[in-house]
Amino acid sequence: MAILLLAGLSSCFYTDSDMYFVEPVADDPPVFSVGTNLDTLLYPEVFDSLEVEYIAEITGGEFYYFYARLAGSVVFESDSTLGSFWITSFMADSAGIDTLYMNFYYSTNTNSLGDKFGYEALVEELKYAIDFKPGGKK
Amino acid sequence: MNKHFTYLIALALLLLSMPPARAQKGGFILTGGIASFRMTDMKYLQEYILSTYPVEGRITSSFPPYTSLSLTGFKQYYDYLRVGGGYSYSTTGGKSSYQDYSGQIVTEMNATSHRLGAYLSYVILDGDWLDLSLSGRLDANYTSLFIESHYRIYNAGNRITNQYRSISPSGCIGVELMYELNQLALGVEGGYLVDLKGNLKDTDDGDPLQDPYDRERVLTSDWTGWYARFSILIKFR
Repeated sequence: MAILLLAGLSSCFYTDSDMYFVEPVADDPPVFSVGTNLDTLLYPEVFDSLEVEYIAEITGGEFYYFYARLAGSVVFESDSTLGSFWITSFMADSAGIDTLYMNFYYSTNTNSLGDKFGYEALVEELKYAIDFKPGGKK
Repeated sequence: MNKHFTYLIALALLLLSMPPARAQKGGFILTGGIASFRMTDMKYLQEYILSTYPVEGRITSSFPPYTSLSLTGFKQYYDYLRVGGGYSYSTTGGKSSYQDYSGQIVTEMNATSHRLGAYLSYVILDGDWLDLSLSGRLDANYTSLFIESHYRIYNAGNRITNQYRSISPSGCIGVELMYELNQLALGVEGGYLVDLKGNLKDTDDGDPLQDPYDRERVLTSDWTGWYARFSILIKFR
């Protein structure tokens, strides 16, 4: 009786539990390339400061975001495919080699909801070993 | 318009309080069943909302036949006439959705009709155990429409809700078949409800719910449709 009553009560309020589930059909991923002025340098040295220039190119997709990390801190971020920023000797934890990470985010072309809203991305990560010279510290 | 509703409610109360000289007895009728609804504008709005999705969603339900209930108090006159008033309730809704591995986007519409008005029933075939009657109702129809859209993509999400209301006159005509059991009667009833449509307005600011493609037109609720219900009649001496 109680079950009948509960079933009766629930039918007094319209509900629809169906969901339309889709397996998105992905397009080809974008063609992405990126280069920096550090590409040709081995262990670039920083006595005082160093300008890092980058240029990214994307075909068949959308560029979202770029950020650079050094010693666990974000030292630069941008949504532009072209730009430059400075790293200084103050940014390193200590003298010696430290790694500069540069992460570039761009669209996945999976055609999912996350892709359409820009909530999912492919990432291209560049790493550069930077030599921070003690003599360059003030 | 409000005057008409006042008249309807006054009529229902008047019918219930008629002098008991010719009234033999009274009682209540409780009915429950299913009803269909036209809801043309709501289906139209649902299609429009779906078209704004950034992905190919689908309508999983669109104002299907759903629950219809009523509670009616009456007085019996001349063994063949029942006069009274009561409350009726109907609900339906619609849903459109899309879901993939990254998240989901859903729009749910819930519409509820509350009707209050007068009731009249006339026995056309009076058997020992079975009665067949023609019945009708005139109601003031209050509609509440709740629209909620929400999305969740990975860990992000948002939710938008809007509530609208409308008031419209409605009436229905049908047949009742009752199996008499002393003070109790069990039966079925069926008929057709005509709703004269009510303009939907936002419950917060009173703004009309406009047609997204024609701002001059206000969207309406429309409960017009067939109904079929089981009924229990309880008589008081």
